[in-house]
Amino acid sequence: MVYINGTASLSPQNSLDYNKFLEGIIEYEKDFLQSIKPNYKEYMKPIAARRMSKTVKNGIICSQKALQEAKVDIPDAIIVGTGLGIVSDTEKFLENMLNNDEKFLTPTAFIQSTHNTVAAQIALKIKCHNYNFTYVNRGFSFESAVIDAIMHINEGKKNILIGGTDEMSEHYFHIIRKNGRWKKTKVKNTELLNYTTNGAICGEGVNFFVLSSEKKEDSYSEIKAINTFYKPENSEEINSKLQSFLNDADIKINDIDLVINGHTGNAAGDKIYDDFLQENFENKPALYYKHLTGEYQTANSFALWLGANILKTKIIPDFTRLNDKPISKVKNILIYNHYFNINHSFILLSQA
Amino acid sequence: MEDLTLKLKEQIIEALNLEDMEVDEIETDEPLFGEGLGLDSIDALELIVLLEKNYGIKIENPKDGQKIFYSIKTMAEYITEHKS
Repeated sequence: MVYINGTASLSPQNSLDYNKFLEGIIEYEKDFLQSIKPNYKEYMKPIAARRMSKTVKNGIICSQKALQEAKVDIPDAIIVGTGLGIVSDTEKFLENMLNNDEKFLTPTAFIQSTHNTVAAQIALKIKCHNYNFTYVNRGFSFESAVIDAIMHINEGKKNILIGGTDEMSEHYFHIIRKNGRWKKTKVKNTELLNYTTNGAICGEGVNFFVLSSEKKEDSYSEIKAINTFYKPENSEEINSKLQSFLNDADIKINDIDLVINGHTGNAAGDKIYDDFLQENFENKPALYYKHLTGEYQTANSFALWLGANILKTKIIPDFTRLNDKPISKVKNILIYNHYFNINHSFILLSQA
Repeated sequence: MEDLTLKLKEQIIEALNLEDMEVDEIETDEPLFGEGLGLDSIDALELIVLLEKNYGIKIENPKDGQKIFYSIKTMAEYITEHKS
């Protein structure tokens, strides 16, 4: 059994304070959505934060909050998933090289640009010498971290800190926009489902969790199962993967109370979600969330945060509703996500 | 000199990524390393590059660094003396 005993999220919404998050959606009309910048001084001294990019600082803050909530000082492992790592520092030292004709190079941005910086800085901060790993598996990065954590717990570990972290930079955004992944114009996030063009809304975020073998009174939820699959041929294959997933988890399709999907405003990609719902969960309530966060390689970590909070609080924010099917109870939530129809995953969450 | 110390503080904040600090939080006389601002050897490299890049001053003898980088004041004095 794997329970979620602590969570924290930094996103383009007020997710660091769940009560504020429930107050409503923050509207944007932008090229890409950026995480809300917390007051870093509240969490660390400026001198201590000087070699940390935004993602590293956000990772430190979220990990601290999740660990505090779970009342865990030192986890048995720190496992992070990231698609882009610390891309801003990578760009910084490359830019310095170009602008200064390969002279005047300093080590800081280079040192910090490696993908495992977040997990490493957390370990340094809390003096944790246990297993420390970072998965950089594109759209499977966060899911890989979850799977690894579950295996550790199944082998007897008690508390694992996991996180999904990604930041978007101007450079990277514009490079990827050229290949048609992102929308060509500014996107109004509150009208995401009205777009009929291809290209997704782009975003970023940092979400951390403490997964534990022990259920507590205030546990968020249980992670019953997770599965990933790569480039399915068609909807039949996705439906077949779903059936196998539910069979393996020993749960019937009717027992799923709520589905969280990852609509991005990308017409081609969203059709996959719509077909999935129509063919498997026609009468079930469904939610979406990427109008809140934008799309990024570890965006599914926000879905896990949202699902866990819904199971704990039984509150479903109106602005996440995809349809108006009645919700009578929420005990089992299925999260279905795909990253540009390449990396697909299911996560089954149940009431703790 | 006052203008230079202010400029130096701004440049140090930028070079060392002290984005949550204001110039008036750095004392002109306080030690930059150790018990003062708390900089370390990697920051020293950043400061060496800062001097060369912004003021054209190359520190030939690394042993001089301890005196030059003692505080904002000593840095400003060194720049005033050696600016090309």
